[in-house]
Amino acid sequence: MKKTPQENLSSPERRTFLKAGAGFMGSLLLGGIPFKAVAQATNLAAPDRCFVFVYFSGGWDQLLAFDPRDPAVFTADRVSETRIMPGYNLLTDAAFAQTPVIPKERAGAGPSKIAFGPAIGDPRAANLSDHYDLMTVVRGINMSTLTHEVGYRYFLTGKMPIGSAARGSSTATEIVGQMKPTVPIPSIAQGVESYNDRYGGYANALRVSGLADLVLTLDPPSAARQLDSEIEKSLIDLNGQPITCEEQALTARGVGTAYESSRGQMQTVMENKLSDSFRFQLAANQSVRDFYGLNNQAYPYNSAAGRAAMVATALKKGISQCVSINLAGGLDTHFGTQQTHATNQRAGFNALNLLVTDLRATAHPGGGNFMDHTTILVFSEFARTPTINATGGRDHHLSNSCLLMGAGIKHNQVVGRSGDIGMSPGQVDLRTGANDPNGSNIFPEHIIATVLASAKLDYSITRVDPLRFLLA
Amino acid sequence: MRRLLLTALLALATGCTQGSVDVPAKPVPLDAQLDPVPNPHGNTDQIDPLPDPEAQGGSVGRAPRRLTVAQLKESIRIAVGMEWDELESRAQSLGRADYALITTENTEPNLVFARFLDDGARKVCIAQAQKDIAQADVTLRTLGRTLPSPMSDLTKLTDAQVGETLVYLSTRFWGAPLAGEELTRYATFFRKAAARAETLKKRDQALAVVCIAMLTDSRFITY
Repeated sequence: MKKTPQENLSSPERRTFLKAGAGFMGSLLLGGIPFKAVAQATNLAAPDRCFVFVYFSGGWDQLLAFDPRDPAVFTADRVSETRIMPGYNLLTDAAFAQTPVIPKERAGAGPSKIAFGPAIGDPRAANLSDHYDLMTVVRGINMSTLTHEVGYRYFLTGKMPIGSAARGSSTATEIVGQMKPTVPIPSIAQGVESYNDRYGGYANALRVSGLADLVLTLDPPSAARQLDSEIEKSLIDLNGQPITCEEQALTARGVGTAYESSRGQMQTVMENKLSDSFRFQLAANQSVRDFYGLNNQAYPYNSAAGRAAMVATALKKGISQCVSINLAGGLDTHFGTQQTHATNQRAGFNALNLLVTDLRATAHPGGGNFMDHTTILVFSEFARTPTINATGGRDHHLSNSCLLMGAGIKHNQVVGRSGDIGMSPGQVDLRTGANDPNGSNIFPEHIIATVLASAKLDYSITRVDPLRFLLA
Repeated sequence: MRRLLLTALLALATGCTQGSVDVPAKPVPLDAQLDPVPNPHGNTDQIDPLPDPEAQGGSVGRAPRRLTVAQLKESIRIAVGMEWDELESRAQSLGRADYALITTENTEPNLVFARFLDDGARKVCIAQAQKDIAQADVTLRTLGRTLPSPMSDLTKLTDAQVGETLVYLSTRFWGAPLAGEELTRYATFFRKAAARAETLKKRDQALAVVCIAMLTDSRFITY
């Protein structure tokens, strides 16, 4: 509690009168609703650029996803030579291909230049690889670490952590911090960490553990906590009235301004009943349940598909600009089977497929569809060893891959490579993207710089140039 | 030799006389007592005035900080008189570090903080106002301590009683009493709420709304 001398309350300054006048006029004209709230309430539209950061937790097996190998070439007989075991023959479920997946040609998109591992989707049905025409796969990324927290935070920030402590801001925070979108909740992080080291509170992600948290945050106070409507209105009026010298002293720097701004956002959120958009059990959201296959699930729909539906809703309703989400877990399978790992990856990719299909089918108010305005980065903290260990699982591996999709990125291409012996990180000419034994490794900071540059944002925090050959 | 002995005795006698009779004895020092230290800042009559707030972006001194979750918990307990029992379950969203993944307390007053604080303020203020209205012993009240007992029609309070209540509450919540125009504004706000509450026969709402307003004010969450 602030203790301020009594004399500070007297002798208002000129600025106070101006503020007071503005506040009074605002409350007079707009019924006491804060200015920011009014501005936002009338401007609840999807941002021109959106971003989705999809995290696969635990370290994925890239042989099953974005860096497959032909089992006819990398045979068991050659393991001592190649140090690579695709292990596709260990996938016992018929829904998994036994060879790399080459997607069917999409009308007007030309044939796919990308091959995927069997976990990408059931080749007999619609799956994520069908969107190859929106994808760029980056292979042979050198993670420089085999520690979960370090690799994870490295990819989130584009900066190698100190020890295991993250440095700098999350990429989503950087984007929101630079773009300052006029949406109620600029950044949501579900099951993903978020850092902010240089922007105001407006750039902080709303961290939720599930849909229920999000609904709770967006919901108006329960009936038991509401006062009579007239008394509530007088409370809003009081908040919209002229401020005193003491309040001004508090709001002059940092915390007070940020708090008042947050309260304005809160008011907008309440007035627009945004929480109902995430109550997929409501009749109004039947189409969401049907599309994401949630009819057999119960609120809070804590499945990968439920989380994908949350991302789509946040973007399509103009609630958020950046959503960071953990779509798949259970990938740290040192002792698991290939089938377990592939099944866990598949759940994430199937949900991502639904999300991309939904965004692709939804018109954006700025023209085109939502995927024309959305950049998606799919990553994991590192990969798993190309050989299978004595317990049937795979351990941590340095060389990684990632997927970039959507706006600002060139499509249908593969950049970088991992070696044919032990899948070590390959070397690339960072100006052209060509494989070059005298070139450099691709690091996570190159990917983050590229994501930022794809929206023409300042990428200097990464201290590297983006991979310009990836930029559309 | 005899003359030397006489001189020595004379000198001794003189010394004893001076120490015991003519000069008062030095006080015996107490344990751990030190000599006074001179003021290292020099003459205290000439204190440098604080810089002009207008020239300092409207304020002086360090920037205000938001309360940490632990501070918020105690502040609510002391100011309102009861604990916000949901605070622990929302502590991480309010900014508390878990020292596993998050090692720094987040004191950003972001939307989630504003939203949850509003929710918490409503819960504790409504509950405490209901308790206070039913409490006949004024010393056991927290929000209505200056109000008469029994707490009957709040619209019949005199201006002085309303002023006293608001000054008491603002001092309780913010550490600074309401005054001037703001006191008038709050008094109007209270009277309006009291009139409506009386119509509804829900007198606690008049006290609760003032409590909510003060608890969600930036002066409560900063120091």
